[in-house]
Amino acid sequence: MESPADAVTMVDVRKTYHVGEPVHALDGVSLSIPRGSYTAIMGPSGSGKSTLMNLVGCLDTPTAGSVSVGGSDISTLDERERTTVRGTEVGFVFQTFNLMPRLTALENVALPQLFQGVSRAERIERAGGLLERVGLGDRKDHLPKELSGGQRQRVALARALVNDPALVLADEPTGNLDTETEAEVLDLFEEFHEAGTTLVVVTHERHVAERADRIVHLLDGEIERIEQLDGAGEPESEPGTADGDQGAGDEPATEQDGDR
Amino acid sequence: MRPLESLRLSWRSIRGHRLRSGLTTLGVIIGVAAVIAFVALGASLQAGIIGDISPDDQRNLYGWAADPDTEGGPLAGAQFVFTQDDMDGVSELDEVEAAYGYATIEAQSVTYGGETQLQGDGLVAAGPSYIRDTSLADGRQFEMGANETVINAATAEQFEENVSVGDELEVQTATGGAETLTVVGITETSEGLSPFEGFEAAPRIYVPTDPFYERQAVGPAAGQDGEDAEAEDGGALFLAIVVEAPTADQDDIDTTRDAAIAYLESDESDASAFLGDDLAVTLQTSTELLQQLEDVLGLLQNFIVGIAAISLVVGSIGIANIMLVSVTERTREIGIMKAVGAQNRDVLGLFLAESVILGVIGAVLGTILGVAAAALGAWYIDLPLVYPLEYVALAIAVGIIVGVASGLYPAWRAARTDPIDALRYE
Ligand SMILES: Nc1ncnc2c1ncn2[C@@H]1O[C@H](COP(=O)(O)OP(=O)(O)O)[C@@H](O)[C@H]1O
Repeated sequence: MESPADAVTMVDVRKTYHVGEPVHALDGVSLSIPRGSYTAIMGPSGSGKSTLMNLVGCLDTPTAGSVSVGGSDISTLDERERTTVRGTEVGFVFQTFNLMPRLTALENVALPQLFQGVSRAERIERAGGLLERVGLGDRKDHLPKELSGGQRQRVALARALVNDPALVLADEPTGNLDTETEAEVLDLFEEFHEAGTTLVVVTHERHVAERADRIVHLLDGEIERIEQLDGAGEPESEPGTADGDQGAGDEPATEQDGDR
Repeated sequence: MRPLESLRLSWRSIRGHRLRSGLTTLGVIIGVAAVIAFVALGASLQAGIIGDISPDDQRNLYGWAADPDTEGGPLAGAQFVFTQDDMDGVSELDEVEAAYGYATIEAQSVTYGGETQLQGDGLVAAGPSYIRDTSLADGRQFEMGANETVINAATAEQFEENVSVGDELEVQTATGGAETLTVVGITETSEGLSPFEGFEAAPRIYVPTDPFYERQAVGPAAGQDGEDAEAEDGGALFLAIVVEAPTADQDDIDTTRDAAIAYLESDESDASAFLGDDLAVTLQTSTELLQQLEDVLGLLQNFIVGIAAISLVVGSIGIANIMLVSVTERTREIGIMKAVGAQNRDVLGLFLAESVILGVIGAVLGTILGVAAAALGAWYIDLPLVYPLEYVALAIAVGIIVGVASGLYPAWRAARTDPIDALRYE
């Protein structure tokens, strides 16, 4: 089930939170994200989208099941190794941009490389090149507060790409943007996707999700269905075809007893 | 992450909060400055005192009678016990070159050529050899029993027309009397000639104990109140005495000291009547007295340095406090850094670097301020400034230690922040 062609492989992943009553935020999810694919994740509030993102983004470990990111099974890694995988294999784009306020656009883009010990000259070259690619070649020395929302999100995208990760994880990337800049940013996503970047976008907006190749619908911690879309972005419904569907019908409660 | 990059990033955030960082370092600056200033001043003071002993003074033994348990500098707990007869007796000992009483006579003012100056430090009454030949710029020693005086340069120069040898001065004493004195000598230095006088430069007038002390002594010194009635013919009692050894050789000094004390504590002397069981005679050279003074100074200095050190502790608590605020304030930034691959030790390093930078800046500025304050103080009390270089190195080390100590807990808190919570933090 784990193939080198996959950026992420999740097998029967469960995540249970214990706050009084145990909450099964993810309840047997199996999902492969092939390299070079463009996946959207949708679902109502509380369906487990954030939990899924935290796992794929190596910010958290599953209660049960395995999550492989860029070929490493994160449930077997200690915190340090997980941080290294996160830094090199995952790029984050957040709804609120999350740029460092006192660093320039260039320094923000180069930040992930700083923690990998890349030399200054190399960082400046790599980050500068990426800023050119997202169309901000003339804004390198600007601070985040001197940039518009769309520009900030483009800086964030450049930052996500700087370590050449296995995938870019975007959480409501257009949630804070107006319609026009939203289209610009989504076009940019598509551009990078066509150039080979693996994209995972969490969104609750249908038209944002429709830019992807497929939409994974989550409901109550399970994959409700996976919807394949053709390249033109028209919906093409394929209900029930969860890829590797162990998770779908299992009895939900009773099995989890604690975090690792 | 490379250490240099941590420093660069930390420096950036310190500059981002200039006012806050400045106020934070202030505590360290004041603490270090206080320590440096007091240590430097103390060292200068000691150097100044040691540097002032002339070789001639080395054979003088300064003495007084006090309870042996009394702590303190020269004359601490001293009692009026010595008569002029005692001094004459000691002088006649083979081991002794000369012996005389020492006293200060309270004076109000001194008049020369119709011009009157206040005389704060009074008159110093002593034996002729108290004025050492080498310290005379002009003239000679005064003679016992004569209305003569030796003045120092500061006294001579305080009048519009400088006083010179052969002139006459009129001195008004505190008891209301007036004495007319003939100036027979002028000393070169204006500083004190013995540890009894102190070391600061001031106008001083030296006179023979006979007749002036005999005439001006009051209270217990006059030897006339009930208990002291034994002092025959109401002769004045001395609080302090000076015994001169034949040479500055340590062996000579020791034999002189032993002989003089033996005589004074034997029944032959008048003093023995007052000494009883509770008083003992102390005779010490300048060097020995200064050693005591230095010990007292050292104690005082340790005390002040202790207080200054407390302000350093307060300063580091200030840094710790600000760092904690800063960690909370930058929770989201910590989350971002961790999301993009910062290890716990990277985050720890960043915050620790920040507090160390604050500590070192505080220590360096504090050192500069402290040395400046010490220089100003040394200049004001007219001492050569001694720079205790090892303390400057120590101050930098203290800055680093303060930075690490105060930054460790906040940095550790920052390092173990959970990125998921931190990214959600508003
Ligand atoms: N840290 C947590 N502690 C306890 N329960 C949590 C925690 N995070 C998420 N949950 C619960 O897990 C379920 C899924 O949440 P989440 O993944 O945040 O869903 P979504 O992002 O789709 O809104 C919810 O019921 C939520 O209350």
